[in-house]
Amino acid sequence: MKSIRRCQFLISLFIVLFIAGMAALVIKIHREAKFYMTHSGTMSLGRVYDRHGDVLYTGTDDDGSSYPDNYFIDVGSLIGDDSGQMENTLVARNTDKLNNYSFTAGLVREGGKAAIYTTLDHEANRKVYDAFGSQKGCAVAYNYKTGELLVCTSLPNIDVTKGYDDIANFESGTLISKVMYGTVPGSTQKVSTVITALEIMGADRLFAKRYTCEGHYTNKTGGVIDCHNIYGHGEQDIQQALENSCNPFFAQLVADSDMPLNKIKKIYGKLGYAINGEEMEYFDIDGIQCERASTTLEDTDDFRTQWGCIGQGDTLVSPMQLMMWQSAVANGTGRMTMPHLIAKVTDVYGDVCERGHTEFSEQLFTDDNAACVRQMMLTNGANHYSELIPGYSLGVKSGTAQVDEGAKENSLLVGFVDDEDFPIAFCILIEDKDSGSVKTDQIAKTLLDALSE
Amino acid sequence: MVNNPIAYLFSCIFVLGAHIAMLANVMLSDGSGGSFVLLAAGVIGLDLVCFTVMPFFRQQSYTIDFMLILVLNMSVIMQSCFGGVGFAVKHWITCIVALGACRVGYLLCRDHKWLEMQKKYYYIGIGVLMLITVLFTGSRSMWINLGENTSIQPSEFIKPLFVLACATSVTEQQKRHRILGFNVVYDNLALFGLTAAICLMQWWCRDLGSLPTFVGIYAAGFLLRICYPKTKFSKKSLVGAGLALALAAVLAVFFAPEYVRERIFSDIWSDTSGNGYQQSKALIAIAEGGWFGKGPTNGFLHEVFAHENDIVFATICEEWGLLFALMTVLALIMMVAVPLISPPRSYFHATMSACVCAAFTVQMALNIFGSCNMIPFTGVTIPFISSGGSSMLVSGLMIGMLSACQSPVFRDPEPFRFNAEAPKRRRRA
Amino acid sequence: MDIVLCAVSAAALDICLLVLIIAAYREKHSEKKSWNKLIHHMELAGPDTVYELGCDEILIGRHASADIRLPDLSVSRYHAMLTVNASGIWTITDIGSKSGLFVNGNLVKKAVLRENDIIGLGNRRLVFRRRGGNGQ
Repeated sequence: MKSIRRCQFLISLFIVLFIAGMAALVIKIHREAKFYMTHSGTMSLGRVYDRHGDVLYTGTDDDGSSYPDNYFIDVGSLIGDDSGQMENTLVARNTDKLNNYSFTAGLVREGGKAAIYTTLDHEANRKVYDAFGSQKGCAVAYNYKTGELLVCTSLPNIDVTKGYDDIANFESGTLISKVMYGTVPGSTQKVSTVITALEIMGADRLFAKRYTCEGHYTNKTGGVIDCHNIYGHGEQDIQQALENSCNPFFAQLVADSDMPLNKIKKIYGKLGYAINGEEMEYFDIDGIQCERASTTLEDTDDFRTQWGCIGQGDTLVSPMQLMMWQSAVANGTGRMTMPHLIAKVTDVYGDVCERGHTEFSEQLFTDDNAACVRQMMLTNGANHYSELIPGYSLGVKSGTAQVDEGAKENSLLVGFVDDEDFPIAFCILIEDKDSGSVKTDQIAKTLLDALSE
Repeated sequence: MVNNPIAYLFSCIFVLGAHIAMLANVMLSDGSGGSFVLLAAGVIGLDLVCFTVMPFFRQQSYTIDFMLILVLNMSVIMQSCFGGVGFAVKHWITCIVALGACRVGYLLCRDHKWLEMQKKYYYIGIGVLMLITVLFTGSRSMWINLGENTSIQPSEFIKPLFVLACATSVTEQQKRHRILGFNVVYDNLALFGLTAAICLMQWWCRDLGSLPTFVGIYAAGFLLRICYPKTKFSKKSLVGAGLALALAAVLAVFFAPEYVRERIFSDIWSDTSGNGYQQSKALIAIAEGGWFGKGPTNGFLHEVFAHENDIVFATICEEWGLLFALMTVLALIMMVAVPLISPPRSYFHATMSACVCAAFTVQMALNIFGSCNMIPFTGVTIPFISSGGSSMLVSGLMIGMLSACQSPVFRDPEPFRFNAEAPKRRRRA
Repeated sequence: MDIVLCAVSAAALDICLLVLIIAAYREKHSEKKSWNKLIHHMELAGPDTVYELGCDEILIGRHASADIRLPDLSVSRYHAMLTVNASGIWTITDIGSKSGLFVNGNLVKKAVLRENDIIGLGNRRLVFRRRGGNGQ
């Protein structure tokens, strides 16, 4: 009867809705179970390998005693472990992928094949690490065509297999990869300023600008910008100023009436700067958070703003970001190649369940301007670095950053190799450069030699 | 004694078989201590007693009763194995209470005409229960504390009465009266008022967990009423009403008390030791259990508060596996789906079945989806699986009502009026 | 081991549920028999359709929600209702129809139906008869 059938229909409706809900629940649980397991007290983590199959992290069931002493020290703060001491590391952020768990098989304690194969080159990484000697800092390099991170090390560092018993005596910065965190960029910032100027006024007008450097520059509000060459560089154009890394030139460029503040802000914003205390955002590199740049832009005649555009004072940029900008220049497209660390992930059965892939950012600046900056940097490289780092066609920019209110100086070098078959972009930071004899170019040479082997 | 002795016999054997398989599972997982023997004796004994007693109630259909005993004893076995074998005597007794309640519900609800005539008493009963709730429950809670760790939840007892109040017959829907130019059925108005009153009370008591259950029951009753329109019920106005309801729901969420909003807009994983504690533990337990579970008695979730009622689904998943937990839920669903196989013979019974089905599915959905973080977590129980006296009793009663719908009796409430009418027609003829 | 045990329990439960469903269908069969016995195997027959009398309140009318739908403008939306009492006697009641309810040609408000009564609703005629048609 129709009336009864209507009731039956309603009953079926309730049941069907409920069963649909249950189906959704089962799908949800099945998909998210790996994530739930990361909150469980027991985990069975697999290994992390480098691009040649070298172990970078030994997993839960291996204490690493079969490896040489400090074997993992060059990657400790990048690869990390599951101890909870380092949050922003590959292992800590990807325990769900590394866990030997599947909903069907449950937690496999022995013989699970879950693993992460990274793009790193452990051997090269180690060589770079060793090249720092007693000095601190960090180095990062990647393939700017594919985005594969090849070298990423930071000093001081930790061998995670040794544990954290001595944590009270760790040097500051041991437990973070400095590559991911903001540092004063020094003159490497001038690359951004050149890009900004190019975007605003175009190549022709920018190259027509000439300013005189007398060793220092007093701006309209009375602030004094010193040049590292106290005798001054004389009258220069932008190419010369970039090669000389001349502060007064850039201060005058920023103060120029052709560089309105709102346009500078817009382009800096596009490049990824958090301006005037905006909320800091992060890049995500396979779960690892990398700080974006930040700076102060309040008034182009003001000291802080000019000082910031030269790469001192309030400006902070992570070495990773400096390197990524190099890719946008080196590619000639104005698009950054987004770095990735994971080449592939295997599940508990050893089947590949995820592969890393190349991604690009949106266009930060035009192709023409990219080509222009590229040429400027290549010229700089050819003029000043062809002897220091022989054998490569390099585009580079060095920088010296004043930290601790001028008490110490950090040395930076960013650059890229202009070679279709060897597309490497890099950034090197040596902290307190006067504390030792190692120079950034030596590290760059070690790095490129190790990678090209 | 039984219409289908063969079907009855086979049902007995296979229900017993299912229980024995589960007991074997427990035995092989955790040896066979004294408490296991007690458990086995309790379960199988209860089975056998039920199988012997049931034929004395001459029913058309025993399916629901078999499913009830199946589910109840399954839940006894499961509840006894949380974190180690220990016969859950309290749960076993509440199961017997539920079986008793089922009989009572069955006996009371077979005659739908009589049931319909008692309608005013349901309203009175609900009114009294609401009054008790408002007057006697502790400061704005839903429990009446009887001391000695016993407390009852009067709002639970409103459910079966509300189901009866929601049930209606076609005849009732044809008794129309004109008020202000509208054709209305007094019964429908009264029911609407009652629902509103109950919802207000639940809101006041902060018992927002059982609110959806009442709304679900009312929705079933409402949908089965509006199909008898006298004035045209256009689809537009229905859609409009639906939208208005949705809007009201959204507004309710925004103006909900702080503790409700906290539950709705919180990420359990960022607060795994606070608000998200139970849910995150439940989900971890489900993940650890996987499809096939860790085996009875091997779980860890029994250490978490409310493991035996609010997050019982996860506890079962962990020990018995998601597969088995889904089967258990399926058994519950089948119980309320029996009216689909064998349709009731009166609209009153049919609407009653639909309302019971609504109550059960909504409660299960709230519990299971709530504990798995798909919807806000409420302290609702899964009928028969969760432990808890009030809930067991009331669920038993409602299943009894469902079972009664399968075996109706027809008695004449007013035989003389029919006879008085009949000769008149004859005379004319 | 766990998997086997779990599978066995689940299988036992599955089979049990299946058996219960089969039992439910058996019971449905016998329930139907006893229902038909209760209503003395009566049914309503139209010119080309036979209407089973499956529950105790049967609405006849033009409206889509009526149990027996007679799509004819002479039939009211809700025209008449059939009810059955405990002894299986069917009664037909006029529930506010416009054109009236006729049993064997007589206008009635309410009437007890006997075998082979002819019910008139507007232009439609239905025969109240034993199952299996007039031949039985």
